Amino acid sequence: MEELKTQLKQQIIDALNLEDITPADIDNEAPLFGEGLGLDSIDALEIILVLERHHGIHISNPAEARPIFKSINALAEFVAANRK
Amino acid sequence: MAEEVSITKAYIGNTCIVSALGVGASQTYAAMLEGRSGLQFVNMPNVCETSLPIQKIADEYRHENLSRLESLMHKCVADIVEKTGIDVRSQRNVIVFATTKGNIADLTTEMPENGSRIYLYNMAMRVSQSLDFQTKPIVISNACISGVSAVIAAQRMIECGKYDNVVVVGGDEVTDFTTSGFLAFKSVSQNPCRPYDASRDGLSLGEAVAAILLTNNKMLSQGYHIAGGAMTNDANHISGPSRTGEPLAEAIRTSMAEAGAEISDVAFVNAHGTATLYNDEMESKAISLAGLSEKPINSLKPYFGHTLGASGVIEMVIGIEELRHHTLLGTLGYQSLGTPMPLNVSAQNRPVEGTCFVKTASGFGGCNASVVVMADEVDHAKNESVTDEVCTRKCHVKNGVISVDGSDVFSSHSADFSQFVREAYHAVESDAKYSIKFSKMSDLCRLGYVAMHHLLKGISYEPYDVAIVMANRSSSLEADLKHWRIFNEGEASPGAFVYTLPNIVLGEVAIRFGIKGETIFFVDNQVDTANEYAKMLLSKYPKTVVAWIEKSGDDYVFDATLYMKKQ
Repeated sequence: MEELKTQLKQQIIDALNLEDITPADIDNEAPLFGEGLGLDSIDALEIILVLERHHGIHISNPAEARPIFKSINALAEFVAANRK
Repeated sequence: MAEEVSITKAYIGNTCIVSALGVGASQTYAAMLEGRSGLQFVNMPNVCETSLPIQKIADEYRHENLSRLESLMHKCVADIVEKTGIDVRSQRNVIVFATTKGNIADLTTEMPENGSRIYLYNMAMRVSQSLDFQTKPIVISNACISGVSAVIAAQRMIECGKYDNVVVVGGDEVTDFTTSGFLAFKSVSQNPCRPYDASRDGLSLGEAVAAILLTNNKMLSQGYHIAGGAMTNDANHISGPSRTGEPLAEAIRTSMAEAGAEISDVAFVNAHGTATLYNDEMESKAISLAGLSEKPINSLKPYFGHTLGASGVIEMVIGIEELRHHTLLGTLGYQSLGTPMPLNVSAQNRPVEGTCFVKTASGFGGCNASVVVMADEVDHAKNESVTDEVCTRKCHVKNGVISVDGSDVFSSHSADFSQFVREAYHAVESDAKYSIKFSKMSDLCRLGYVAMHHLLKGISYEPYDVAIVMANRSSSLEADLKHWRIFNEGEASPGAFVYTLPNIVLGEVAIRFGIKGETIFFVDNQVDTANEYAKMLLSKYPKTVVAWIEKSGDDYVFDATLYMKKQ
């Protein structure tokens, strides 16, 4: 699971082109959006693409994906349960 | 010393449309009255496995030396010139082009050559010269409000006496480039779009070209004029609309005040109505804040799709027909209201009464626009205060050095753009929350972001008191190439696509500095038109910024003037 979390962080950093940030800078508990990492709705779409591309998980309605973007922990649990 | 002068009006002289529903306003309007839509299911195998409802136009107007889009623009302008007899060779007549992506269908993964028609200014010059116009064309690329922005700019150019006749032509094609981007945003519906409806699930794309002649010659008037126009910026998000609708409401209120229009004068509102969840929500809030909830409202997107640069122009042309015939076309596909605030929408055509209508648009970069089209029999005299007491501040960025009013305020260890801009960023911004936003920006946006810090340093203003005009030659070409490369490697990225509109830099700047006045982007070969336009805004805004902002390969330059009216 820890490995998956680090992998997801790196994939998000690459997809969003986040210079100056390493996986260690992202807190597993912190919200990805709003006050935490400060990501926005465009980033959510990019992360959905990461899930499709690297984990074979297809999400058609971005609004449904909101809960899994709560934190890296929530995202990793979702990926572990749904990846193909 | 401010004084009041009476100004001439921008009359609507003639119009032309080329859409899937016909050629010309009357033919198109007649088809729409019968409830016909131009949307048809089209296969775009490179971007989508399923067919999509799209308005495509037939290739019957190919001019031998022009691209497909240029030929359609040529056709629309030529039609107006022929009907009105305006002198194309006069220095007092000009064409204003409204487009988001122009000839983007020609884009490869290589940087186009200087003379390429992919450059929007070259495209405009080709069309303008093919019609024998002698004046420099004007190009406005302001995302989804390009068409309405161009009409407002043309109105101002007529009112201030710069031109006698301005032909505004708006056009964009449906291409893999644009469609892949909207699909990446998950904002395209699999079915014909259903604005304001509870079950709406996205927009439909379309292509069209439309033109309107604005003239100071009342003899050419078709009975209507542009009585008021205003633009605002949400200063909230580069792609998501405002949560409150207040900036669009402010644009509506300002345009109505300029027109001298009361709510009781308004026959109807023709809104943007893209049928995305958030756009339509925002519009319902704005319409409510502007006190227009009870007015009949429609969206024409179910007839044409979202025609991008053409949308504001084509919808205004049809709006004029609706006002003339006292009939508001139904919003096809509408069944039940799905917006947080009430709107008076109907799927059926309805009779309407009033002397004017309000046309609105909103788009990426947080921009909003509103225009009031009024019958000529309502003859409010228009006055404008003029002032020549202005002071300026200038900011210049080149070769790793930022200077303000001639004094260097920052200099980088390197003239290399990426190193320079990062150093410049860290010199002005220590708050980590901006760092991620900055790292995601296109280079054009980064340049504008750091330079505006210095231009606005220590200047105080209210959000709606500042307008920003920007211009360059390459539009968003570097971001275009990036989006296209990513798409060709696999799948389009929404984060890359959003920067394929040059006015996003205006959105980024508006957000960072809390500026909610007009933001408008010109594509040109030099800064003169933008500068003249910025001066026209001095009668409306206490402070106006005009900036030439270019980032192309190793070359970058930012050259701005802040005009401040003396109190």
